[in-house]
Amino acid sequence: MKITHLAIALGLAFVSTEARAEKLVIKGSDTLGAKLVPQLAEQFKAQHPGTTFDIAAEGSTTGIAAIIDSTAQIGMASRRAKPAEVSAASAKGVHMKPTIVAYDGIAVIVNSANPIKSLTKKQVEQIFTGEVADWSAVGGSSGKFSIYTRNTSSGTYSDFKELAMKKRDYAGTSQKMAGNEQIAAEVGKNANGVGYVGLAYTKASGIKVMSIDGVLPSVQTVHAKTYPYARPTFYYTNGDPSGLAKQFLDFTISGAGQKIVGQVGFVPIP
Amino acid sequence: MLRKNFMLITMAASIIAGAITARAQDAGALLDLLVKKRLITDQEAEEVRGELTRDAAATSSGKLKLSAPITEIELYGDARVRYETREGTTASNVPGVPGPNDTLKRSRERYRLRLGLRGTLADDWFFGLRLETSTNPRSTNVTFGDDAGPFGKASDAIGVGQVYLGYRGLRDFTFTAGKMPNPLVTTLMVWDGDINPEGLAEQWKHSYNFSFGGGSTAPAAESYSKDGKAVAAIEAEPFKVKLDLFMNLAQFVYDDANPENPLGPRSVSGGKLVPNSDNWLLAWQIGARINFPKNIYFQVAPVVYNYTGAGDTFNTFFRGGEAGITNTASLALNQTGINSLLILEVPAEFGFRIGELPVRIFGDFAVNFDGGDRAIAAGHPEAQDERYAYQVGIGIGQLKAKHDWQLQAFWQHTEQYALDPNLVDSDFFDSRVNMEGVVVQAGYAISDAVTFNLSYGYGRRSNNTLGTGGAGDIGINPLDKYQLFQADLNVKF
Repeated sequence: MKITHLAIALGLAFVSTEARAEKLVIKGSDTLGAKLVPQLAEQFKAQHPGTTFDIAAEGSTTGIAAIIDSTAQIGMASRRAKPAEVSAASAKGVHMKPTIVAYDGIAVIVNSANPIKSLTKKQVEQIFTGEVADWSAVGGSSGKFSIYTRNTSSGTYSDFKELAMKKRDYAGTSQKMAGNEQIAAEVGKNANGVGYVGLAYTKASGIKVMSIDGVLPSVQTVHAKTYPYARPTFYYTNGDPSGLAKQFLDFTISGAGQKIVGQVGFVPIP
Repeated sequence: MLRKNFMLITMAASIIAGAITARAQDAGALLDLLVKKRLITDQEAEEVRGELTRDAAATSSGKLKLSAPITEIELYGDARVRYETREGTTASNVPGVPGPNDTLKRSRERYRLRLGLRGTLADDWFFGLRLETSTNPRSTNVTFGDDAGPFGKASDAIGVGQVYLGYRGLRDFTFTAGKMPNPLVTTLMVWDGDINPEGLAEQWKHSYNFSFGGGSTAPAAESYSKDGKAVAAIEAEPFKVKLDLFMNLAQFVYDDANPENPLGPRSVSGGKLVPNSDNWLLAWQIGARINFPKNIYFQVAPVVYNYTGAGDTFNTFFRGGEAGITNTASLALNQTGINSLLILEVPAEFGFRIGELPVRIFGDFAVNFDGGDRAIAAGHPEAQDERYAYQVGIGIGQLKAKHDWQLQAFWQHTEQYALDPNLVDSDFFDSRVNMEGVVVQAGYAISDAVTFNLSYGYGRRSNNTLGTGGAGDIGINPLDKYQLFQADLNVKF
């Protein structure tokens, strides 16, 4: 009898250990994955001891691809899935389901020494497409632009192209950076630098945020959609999430999660 | 309010559902509106957007990816199978030809394919590309069984018939560069319809609207009715006239000289330096089309052509064959030279309707102001007045939709030194000048996309003392008489 009880106890302990050791694989957006999701994960782990996370923030494209390939339970994306991606997912029997987890405003940043305080949408388009090459063309002091953009796997790269550049190509002189923090760092060091970052990365030193057509990115202007480069950010899952992925998603959009969203610098879901 | 919201959502859902295959992305504006009006949440909108994207991606159009600068694109083309027979007859007593009035006959079954892509780009640019069978600039036909075979493919190659880009950013102006559809208003008498000239074109067109009269035709006091009450005077429709003025300028690279600057001294031929400049065909056209009420119109579009530079292929005096020598010797005389050509062409057209039936009377007139020099250079100073060409015809009906029909007939007369024989139509007078005759055509639309056409042409030599200049399919010069019959089945898509 005692042996039986011991076996049952050992068995339960084993099952329990297995449950606590669950791992959540999250891949995708650098905008979400560099700061926000790790902090959410830390908080979540505190509430769910034993849970481990594997977070890879290499761009929204990698997150969506990971859902299509079933190599992650959650794909972080700062852009919507493209029709070709949705089509590829469908072909593999994957149902791409987006869930909005936060809002963001893509902030256009310049070096803090730059006298320019605001730009128009047209000027932003001209700068990033290479239509103009010198700060004097947009009311600044003479000096060639040093344009910093995200790389092509970035959702912010695509979103900015769509929101700010009428889908035109980036200037050939633009330099592609791996993440928001790198862009902020480069612009902070370069007096002629101009780039864009998510709202959460605007506190970096040496940079300042441009108002666009007189509107600065903020919680209010992003919620009201008056800031022209406002956008939702997503978790993509294969259909309705389940298990640990559902728990983490629910936590992200919960009051506690959205509090972290705001603290990190994103705009919470209203 | 609830009912209004329900209606709005229902309408939106219907529109979105209906738009899935066409433009899923258009639904984005509707979803944004619904979110803005707080009828749905952002999350709900995203889920609908995702469903629409998924549905759209499964459609044929959803699988087609276009680059971002393309704002509109059109795939078009046509395919045709043809039976054709053409025959030419030698003149009487031509040395070297077996018997006078001997006939050379050529019957063949042919096909053609033209596949085009044209579109508009951001910022008022546009482009076009058309692939065509045949390498002949004046024909897109391929003859069945004419290459090594049976059923060989040597002659079935596809060539680039058109490739051009252009700009329409200035009001009323169109600029085009490349190998383009002929931008000039013209007729088969001067330009074969299959030729796609290469170079530059600048076009301008502006419309003016005029209104004459109209309003009340009689004072109200003079109006009456049986019950004695005043009635409103009948208002007459104003007489509206629309005037389209246009200008077409073209600079076509007719013949490229290669090289412009050779190694060492320039070559000398016949005691003269070999030309080293490209040959350009320049065209200046102005035109007007007056549109009257009831589909009546008149259009005239005079155009002047001249040639500059030399090139290295056509820089030889045109002879155009000779009468009274062997056929072989006559054919060997230059048929393609473009010396002394300064041509005025005046195509005109008058259109009206008989009931629902469109009718057009058309014509063309051309004179080569340098025709005298061309005749002298050809060794015929007595034929310096052989410099005119004209065409007059009538067309009834048009092939636009299933069961439409069309008849057309025209008479054409071209003199030996009137036109550039390298450009004239290759079918009805076998690419020749110094010919005159009649052409009759009939067409019927079997369906909206399929037409059946019959064409017959009869030509004869215009001036019996001269050859019939030009390089055609019938190896006879002078071509004393000529007949052509074509039966075509066309599919347009």
